Amino acid sequence: MNKSTKLVIGALAILAIVAIGYFMSINTVEEVSVEEVSVEPIKIGMIAPMTGDLAFMGEGIRDAIVLANENTENTKYEYEVIVEDDQLDAKMSASAANKLISVDKVDAIITFSSVTGNVVAPIAEQNQIVQLGIASDANVAKGEYNFIHWTPPVEENRVFIAELQRRGITKLGIFEGIAPGAAAVIADLREQLKETDIEIVTDQMFNFGETDFRSIIAKTKDSEAETYLLLAFSPELEILAQQIREAGITTPITSIEGFELSEQVDLFEGEWYVNAADPTGDFTDQFVAKTGKSPTLGAANGYDIFNLIVAATENVTDTTKPTPKQIASELTKITNFSGALGNLNVDPDGIIVSNAAVRMIKDGKPVTVTE
Amino acid sequence: MDILPQLILNSIIAGAIYTLVALGFNFIYGATKFFNLAHGIMAAIGGYAVFYFTKTVGLNMYVAIILGIALAGLVGFGLDKFIYLPLRKRKASNMVLLVASLGAMTAMQALIAILFSSRFKTLTENVGTQKLFTIFGGIITQTQLIILLSAAVIMASLVVMLYKTQFGKSVRAISDDEEVARIVGIHTNKIIGTVFFIGSAITGFTGILIGFDVGIEPTMGLNLLLKGVIASIIGGVGNIYGGVLGAFLLGFLENFGIWKLSGEWKDAIAFALLIVFLIFRPRGIINK
Repeated sequence: MNKSTKLVIGALAILAIVAIGYFMSINTVEEVSVEEVSVEPIKIGMIAPMTGDLAFMGEGIRDAIVLANENTENTKYEYEVIVEDDQLDAKMSASAANKLISVDKVDAIITFSSVTGNVVAPIAEQNQIVQLGIASDANVAKGEYNFIHWTPPVEENRVFIAELQRRGITKLGIFEGIAPGAAAVIADLREQLKETDIEIVTDQMFNFGETDFRSIIAKTKDSEAETYLLLAFSPELEILAQQIREAGITTPITSIEGFELSEQVDLFEGEWYVNAADPTGDFTDQFVAKTGKSPTLGAANGYDIFNLIVAATENVTDTTKPTPKQIASELTKITNFSGALGNLNVDPDGIIVSNAAVRMIKDGKPVTVTE
Repeated sequence: MDILPQLILNSIIAGAIYTLVALGFNFIYGATKFFNLAHGIMAAIGGYAVFYFTKTVGLNMYVAIILGIALAGLVGFGLDKFIYLPLRKRKASNMVLLVASLGAMTAMQALIAILFSSRFKTLTENVGTQKLFTIFGGIITQTQLIILLSAAVIMASLVVMLYKTQFGKSVRAISDDEEVARIVGIHTNKIIGTVFFIGSAITGFTGILIGFDVGIEPTMGLNLLLKGVIASIIGGVGNIYGGVLGAFLLGFLENFGIWKLSGEWKDAIAFALLIVFLIFRPRGIINK
């Protein structure tokens, strides 16, 4: 072999090595990227009070979501839940949402309460992340990426008014903590009461954090209310109930959702109220087996929301990881979904409706009176 | 329950609570001339100490109350000894002391939340079973009656102590001019330490009473302090009588204000009153 032949063979060998290396590298990258896509989990953030007065509710929702994740089988994707504590404080809700979006890179966020939902929904919309709120305020469902799963005020008030009428109550007094959820309930209640002979004889508003209700209680003295509707969270709810009784008022008290938000349900012994309908027996049994406790208010909603996100994600037909836009789009198509709160449908406004029921605190425990 | 007597009673009760906080706050301010923002947390310390000693340790309630008051006093004394006194020795400004007190308050509030959780707690065994008394058609609970009596007794005791004892003379001398008081032989640091103990113990006791009346939570001190400070400013900061006057004025205005306005305006009324006084009478009703 002369020198030029050697050069040609050498050049070809180098070219062959470069070509093999190049194609190998392409295949490796493709394999890695395919593998990364297939193992990268769908991240679902949850923002709820994990410390503070309502921590027991946050814990209940978290346990239900973990249960739902454990029950997830034969799915294309893995699902990872990241929990953030907001103590039901709007400022903390906002920073938790920003952290979940920018640091954890979540695909969806589950929020609890209208307070939190109202803060997180615009952030989710702006960042194009799916947000599903366990909230009653329809504003939390505004936008392409936002949804709520709760018994809406219109349903709760329908059941509430029917029960007032059944009991022959025509004069209603209200103590209302200033919050978006309570405002939505009262606005709808006023609207629905126009069709009835029931009159709101007093409506006392107070700020959250208030501990002295004695003067607003005194103001209701001449109202002749036949029952008082308390719309508040813990601890205002318990302090208010205690001070009503200490003021010598024996008029029955009732609530929409409120009593089951309290850990001191004995304060409301014998009183009726309206709440979300009972979850299915299957969900309740599983929840009790996992936690040793009965499902708290919102737990079944959390369970359903997680399963709805999974269903929507799995329905995306693309081979790559679904985008939040695709998940949101699939969510709106869901009908007749068998959930812990019955058969669920996602309406065009992003609201997933579940039913309300009349319940009562009996022997320190909530029991359903009428579905 | 008639509304007018009830509103008057509610105003007096609120005034008595604000009085108790303002008394402790003014007592300390009079001697140190700085806004001790950590003062409010003493209420939480007193309340949580009683909660711990009765519900966890199982001590007798009266023993727990005494320990709660003592602990609040000791924490106040400790704050002065380990934070404020070293700063005063370095000639730190009142602004530095204020920021230090804010830090102390935040740290202690967080510590209470870590130890006991942020969840609201009550000190009473059976909620809603308090003995009730009817006065001129208004209803008052046993605990509220004790709050009223306590405010009267503590105020009288402070006045006697300030004007009839050697210790009181020393406190007033320090209040007038700490430097001159030291020159004439008053052990100013020791006296100020004792003032911190007494002022903090009074607020600790207030926290215990509120715990029995309503309940306790780690952040309870801040709201109480705000009302106590407003009462002190409108009455005349550093003045014992002024604080009491301001506290009752605030209590009456808040409760009568929401007679015709919605309950949500209660805090707004308090702060509007503060702004009015800061603009038109910054030294308060009673000039020292």
